Amino acid sequence: MPANWSYVIAAYGIAAVALFGYWRHLARRARALAARPRAAKARAA
Amino acid sequence: MTRALGWLAALGLLAGLAAGFGYAPREAVQGNVQRIMYLHVPSVLTAYLAFGLVLLGSIAYLATRRPGWDRLAGSAAEIGVLFTGVTIVSGSIWGKPTWGTWWTWDARLTSTAVLFCVYVGYLMLRGLIDDPEARGRYAAVVGILGAVNIPIVHFSVKWWRALHQPSTILGPEPSPIDPAIGLALFVNWVAFTLLFAYFLSRRIEIARLEEQT
Repeated sequence: MPANWSYVIAAYGIAAVALFGYWRHLARRARALAARPRAAKARAA
Repeated sequence: MTRALGWLAALGLLAGLAAGFGYAPREAVQGNVQRIMYLHVPSVLTAYLAFGLVLLGSIAYLATRRPGWDRLAGSAAEIGVLFTGVTIVSGSIWGKPTWGTWWTWDARLTSTAVLFCVYVGYLMLRGLIDDPEARGRYAAVVGILGAVNIPIVHFSVKWWRALHQPSTILGPEPSPIDPAIGLALFVNWVAFTLLFAYFLSRRIEIARLEEQT
């Protein structure tokens, strides 16, 4: 059986991109939502 | 709490990589490509957990109409779709060198693809309805009906002749897996469960903030 490391690297690489991408998406969304009340307060003032 | 879960998940994933690539031996028949199992199997078990929580949240929402249950169901579905996607892609990559094909309309693969599509549809339905009460109600019905597919996916390899191997864990017989391989799989399963808990905690908090604004 050949080593087939390229398949292993591809599988783990794609999973890492997907999971890290989702983590970044959540972090950005949380930051945007946290900034909204501050922006609204700044406009009111 | 959420931050601690995140660090625990990161440490767990590092331990999982060390177990899968350092501790576990090279599999005798498939060689190194079998190491995809430490990603593929924990991903699908995490997806089962996520969709199980969608079912729980959906039933509880219909019974109580508390928005917290709807937030749980919607958040778990999103993460479940992510892990099902990882399962399908990693399985496809594993299939090429072992079966000689990226994809085949085998019972396990087809039912998993249907599971993925059902919950993508669930998320699309949630995105289409603005009224929170109506969205929660319709989504809960789809969340309950969609869960019917989970046992079909799991038992498909027993019910139909399939190219996919039968269950080596969560099966009725004692697992024939080598203890070192079993331990590496267990470490990765714990790591993925921690990662799921971290994602779920953050996603529920985001859903709560979205409802307030």
